[in-house]
Amino acid sequence: MIDLLLSTAVALAVVLGFITVTAMFFVWSERKVAGWIQHRVGPNRTGGFAGWAQSIADSVKLLLKEDLILRGADRTLFQLAPAVVMASAFAMFVVLPFGPGLMVADVDLGVFLILAIASVTTIGVIMAGWGSFNKWSVYGAMREAAQVASYEIPLGLSLMPPILYFGTFSLKAATEAQTGSFGMGWYLFSDAFWIAIPSFLLFFVAALAENKRAPFDLPEAESELVAGFHTEYSGIRFSFFFLEEYAAMFVFSAVGAALWLGGWNFPGIHLMEPGSTLLLILATASFVLKAFFLVFVMMWVRWTVPRLRIDQVMTLGYKYLTPLSMAMALIAATWEYIKHVGSLG
Amino acid sequence: MSLPKAPTEPRPQRGYFGNITDTVVSTAKGMALTFRYLFRKKVTVNYPEVKPQLDERYRGIHYLEQDLCINCDKCAKACPVDCIEMDATRHGKELEWHKFQLDYQKCMFCELCVYPCPKDCIHMGTEYSMVSEDRNDFVKDLLTWTGLTEEQEVRIKEAEAAKAAKLAAKKKAAEEAAKKEAEEGGES
Repeated sequence: MIDLLLSTAVALAVVLGFITVTAMFFVWSERKVAGWIQHRVGPNRTGGFAGWAQSIADSVKLLLKEDLILRGADRTLFQLAPAVVMASAFAMFVVLPFGPGLMVADVDLGVFLILAIASVTTIGVIMAGWGSFNKWSVYGAMREAAQVASYEIPLGLSLMPPILYFGTFSLKAATEAQTGSFGMGWYLFSDAFWIAIPSFLLFFVAALAENKRAPFDLPEAESELVAGFHTEYSGIRFSFFFLEEYAAMFVFSAVGAALWLGGWNFPGIHLMEPGSTLLLILATASFVLKAFFLVFVMMWVRWTVPRLRIDQVMTLGYKYLTPLSMAMALIAATWEYIKHVGSLG
Repeated sequence: MSLPKAPTEPRPQRGYFGNITDTVVSTAKGMALTFRYLFRKKVTVNYPEVKPQLDERYRGIHYLEQDLCINCDKCAKACPVDCIEMDATRHGKELEWHKFQLDYQKCMFCELCVYPCPKDCIHMGTEYSMVSEDRNDFVKDLLTWTGLTEEQEVRIKEAEAAKAAKLAAKKKAAEEAAKKEAEEGGES
């Protein structure tokens, strides 16, 4: 019992530390990427080299800010919302396969669990918007609800091709299936690449919308809704929403990396002794780097594509992504059937 | 010669798959563009450490070539906002400078004071930074020295000595002339 509690505490601490540090790194790199794309230099003062301490300064500032609750706000909802959002971001990390033997829990329905928990974030956002006693917050929350409800379907369906290909919902099993002969048996380069590439694009777009990242950041569209659902939040409660956004970006990038980009596999993994520390370090680095690359692409998209109108978001979700992802799931299923059974008869 | 035709015609209606291709292609183009921009030279000037490259004709704080200036007051008269005040005492050909003040609270950097100068001794520089918490700091004196320099004093003394010598010579000549006249008068 004590052992179990202790290991749980260690896992919690590690995940919390990882989330905080990566979120801080992402905030810094987001500002750097934004600067570079606009021919600016980005943060370059705090901490000396390339402004590396900018995020630390930001976090300290956020923690020192006054924690305001409006008089008209629904106190319970208002106080609970950041906790719900943060907890859901936290729980998604449980099933991520960082390296061989380095994951909190190998759940058979890992992908399904992540999708389910990602939707809990939406409840937190709606609670925040509704409890804030602010019309902009409510608008933001309603947009979030509409957006997530419509993009949940393409997101789930676009995950079907890799799941059908590997025949498992477990991220660990899917990763292990991608080792191939020299660590490059990634789904994106497999015999079903012609299904993998479009389904990956669909997944990526749906994940952007699910994470309310630009160009789908309508719940917090600052030119229309001040800051959307978190308008009335300050201090540490605001930082929870901030943290959740970057944590969710990492989680969806990690799912994309695990299912399409081979997870922790890297060229040359077959030469390594199984279970060695070097393998563990390299595999984890490979997984994290792949996820970071996808996060970078998300930032890159944000500073390239302008924000869509809400009707355009709905059109894209219902008229394009949903039918296309359905078609991809159907094609993938048919392909697997032909491959395993041999014919359609 | 004909001007290029303005794109007035509406874009042709694309079908369902046309829209998809359009979206994918245009997003890919945009992403390629921003990716190239990532590695371009940055245009930001890291201001306090790196000063911006200013044009030679930039109109900043004035500077004065004091040894050329003749205290003619033409720049002060040309100034539309009356921000120039100068004062000097003349010692023969030398000027004893008291002040040459510009009130930068009034100055609008129009450069009109520069053109009338007969000696071409007032110019506008490239220094622009004038941060202060005190209004009086914006009244700047352009003089590099006040009063008389040692050289000027030497020159004034020389001039005075020359003048005195000249006067003495004149006096002597007059005396001699008077003497001669007296002698001649006595003879007559």
